[in-house]
Formats: sequence, C-alpha cells, structure tokens
Amino acid sequence: MLTQAELVELLAEVAKGDSGAFERLYGATRAKLYGVLLRILGRPELADEVMQETYLKVWKSAASFDPAIASPITWMVAIARNRAIDIVRKRGEASIEDEPEALSVAADTPPPLARREMTEELRRLLACLGKLDPEKQRIVLLAYYSGWSREQLARKLDIPANTIKTWLRRSLLEIRGCMGS
Amino acid sequence: MFEEDQETLAAEYVLGTLSAEEREHAEALRSFDPEFDAAVKQWERRLGELNVMVEAVEPPAEVWDKIKGEISAEMPAEAEAAAETESVPDLESPATVDATDFLFAETATTQPDENAGEAAATPANDAAAPPPLAAKRAAGVERGADVVRLRKRVGRWRGFTVAFAAIAALLAAYIAVSKVAPDLLPPQLRAVGANLMARTEPQERGPSDRLVAVLQQTPIAPAFLLTVDTQQRTVVVRRIAAGQENGRSYELWLITGRSAPPKSLGVVGSDEFTQRSLPANVDLETLRSATYAVSLEPAGGSPTGAPTGPVLFTGKAVDSLPSSPTPKT
Repeated sequence: MLTQAELVELLAEVAKGDSGAFERLYGATRAKLYGVLLRILGRPELADEVMQETYLKVWKSAASFDPAIASPITWMVAIARNRAIDIVRKRGEASIEDEPEALSVAADTPPPLARREMTEELRRLLACLGKLDPEKQRIVLLAYYSGWSREQLARKLDIPANTIKTWLRRSLLEIRGCMGS
Repeated sequence: MFEEDQETLAAEYVLGTLSAEEREHAEALRSFDPEFDAAVKQWERRLGELNVMVEAVEPPAEVWDKIKGEISAEMPAEAEAAAETESVPDLESPATVDATDFLFAETATTQPDENAGEAAATPANDAAAPPPLAAKRAAGVERGADVVRLRKRVGRWRGFTVAFAAIAALLAAYIAVSKVAPDLLPPQLRAVGANLMARTEPQERGPSDRLVAVLQQTPIAPAFLLTVDTQQRTVVVRRIAAGQENGRSYELWLITGRSAPPKSLGVVGSDEFTQRSLPANVDLETLRSATYAVSLEPAGGSPTGAPTGPVLFTGKAVDSLPSSPTPKT
C-alpha cells in the first residue's frame, strides 16, 4: 500500500525520468483517475484518451509538482479533470452528456463515506460545505463530480442560470472563508 | 470586488462550471498572472479532496500500453531498459496500493456510521440523492410536477439527441479530414473547413489578410476590438466599452503559450483607434493561435516589459472574412 509520502517520492523519481517509478505511479493512481474521468466524460473511449494525455502530462511536468501546495493525487486529479472539462466544453454539451449511457454514469454524486474513511482535509471541506444550504451543497458537488457548467446545472436542476451563478459565487466565497487559506 | 471576481473565476475554473470562453480567459490569466495561478492552485487543493469519494474504476490495459508507447518514443534507451525489468504493474491492485484508494475497498458496502447526522457528513448524504429526486424535494410539490413533465419530454427528445450526436460526430470527422487532408474533400466542402489551415501557407491566402479579436472581460461586454493586418503587419485597437484608465495605461499583449513570456504590442492610446506594429519575429500561425490580452499598467506602460498590473481583457483572433474556395490545380 502506498502512502502519500511514497507517492511524493515516486513523483520526484518520475521528475528525474525514472520510467519504473512512473509505472508504479500509474499502477497506484490509474483506477482513481479513471473513475474521476468516467464520471465527467461518460464515455470510456474519451476517458481512455484523456488518461493518456493526463499521464503524459504527469510524466513531462512531474518536476513542477510541489508537495508543499498539493498532494500527489489531488495534483493528478486536477490535471485530469481540467483536460476532461476542456473537452466536454469544447465538444458542446449535446454530443456527450445527453447520450443515455453517459447519463447513467454522471447523474449522481458518489455514495457517502463513513467518517472514519475520510481524510482530515476532506472532513474540513465537508464541514464547510455542510454550512451551506442543502441545495447549494448539491450544486457544488454536482459541478465537481459531473463537470457540469452553470448552464447545465441550471437546465438539469430547473433553476435560473443567474441564480446558479449567484449561488455558486456566494458558496465558493463562503467555503474559502470557512476553510481559511 | 475585483479581487472577489478573480477569486470566483479561479474557483469556478477549478470546479469546472465555466463556459469554454471563460475557461480560455482563465487559462490566459494563469499564464501570466502568478497571483491568479496561485489562487487556482489553492482551489485545486481545497476542492481536490472530493476525489476521495469517487469510486475507483479499473481502466483497460491498452491505456497503459499506449502511454508506455508514447514515452518510449520519446526516450527510447531508458524505456527499453524499463520494459525489460518490469512489465505491466498488474500485480498491484489499485484497491490495495493507492494511499487514497484504500478508502474504497469497502465503500460499496459501508454505510455512514451513527455520526452521519453531523454537519460534516451531511453534504455527502445529500449528494447521494440523484438530481431528479433531489430537485423535487427542494422545489416542493408544485414544481415536482414540472420535473416529471420534463423527464417525459427528455424521453421523447432522446431520438433527436442521438441524431444530433451523429451529426456532431460527422462534423468532427469532417473538420479533422479538412485539417489533415483537405484534398480528400470535395472542393465546395473544402473551402469552409480549410479556412484556417489553408491560409497558413502564404501562397494560398484568401482575400482577407485580416484577423480580428474581441477582447472582453465577460462574454456580454466587449471592451476592445482588435484588427490584425497580417500583410501590413499592424494591429489596430479600437476602444468599444473599456473603462477609463484613471491615470494608468492599457497595454496590449500577445500570448503565445504557457511557457513563452507575453510580448508587448504597445500601450493603447486614448483615441478610439490605436495602430501598432507587430513584432517581426512572430509568424502568421502564431498570430492566429495566440491569445491577445490587455492589462492595466502604470502610465506609459509596464516598466518591466512584462505585465505587472491586472489582466482585464483577453481574446482569440478569428479570420475576418471567409477565404474563397481555392481548389488546388
């Protein structure tokens, strides 16, 4: 089992061009990243493509990873989500998300974890999210897990786009205030 | 207010709720506003922990084969050595290996414990409800009926959606073909798709040697209109709705990528139109793909040669006229 410290070490070796370390890093993180990508992209062939792009980027930019400001997994997930959301936005909404098989994947947020399964950081974030109205919590979580734009959130939840915009803005600033820097 | 705008832009960029145009704006900001980039990274850390709750899914084995293939192509010697010593890391099941994935070994069967009613666990519980149900609950009985009607309509529209998806796929294929091999397309189709590509080669230029870019802060409020004359190698900036500088200066920048430093195209004058020359060492393809941006600088322009003030407006250039069909003979 790899700890966070071990992942940090692996990334440092990857930064030096160690392909064996890269392979171990892939083995330790692939299923998490693939799960994240499938939720956003819905379609396995797209998720496969973004997996490749993500890991190539990890390979090339491992040197820019800074353990002081990110954990290895959140850093890698951020690269993957970023690319996935770019693709979803650029392809336009209709071509991906309205397909039946895509809907079944992205339609809900993940099941809750027992408290003891949560990391300390996650607990802090959830505590802050918990201070928002339930509806606003749901919007933030749906956006994160499904990669929906404001327009998609508005349409799917039947809430005016301007309301979504205001709620998101307020919620995010509240989360920042609650979590500190 | 401005600080809060930047903060929410960074947060929404990470959350993923921005439109394609807003994402481009945010990415341009990241490339040369270290403060904004730092805000993005902070949000990645703040929200990133949510990944812990996503179920791990095993990707197909070909994914690794392809990644390995691309990396070996880059650095053949080391990759070969690695291939000899180690094969696919299948001996390490992700459920037992990953520091964060260990949480998932029993996720499927684990129920929230008795503390679940606490504030900390509430969002997760709430989130578990699928949207239609949750929307009904939140909207009350009356709007619940709307949701039901909406879902029926979705059912009926699905056939059309699939058709649209097919058209989109066809279009994507067409664009791909027209970019890679325009000659494969019939001439009347070639013109539109080849617009961008064909005109990157000087001898195939169409009637327009002008690129235009609208620089805006939000999609509904264009501030500057840029016209790039690639023949005369000039850029004309037209003020549309930009606010007053209040003793400072707007400066125009050409951004060619995350790694290259922004190039100054000069200070925007106070008249409606300002004309500036383009740097000699920038080729046509770069002008087409670049992001144009305006920052607010001390009077007379940035003292350092790089943007020092907030980047207020960004945009991409597009061709001002369609190029005429120019089938090759």
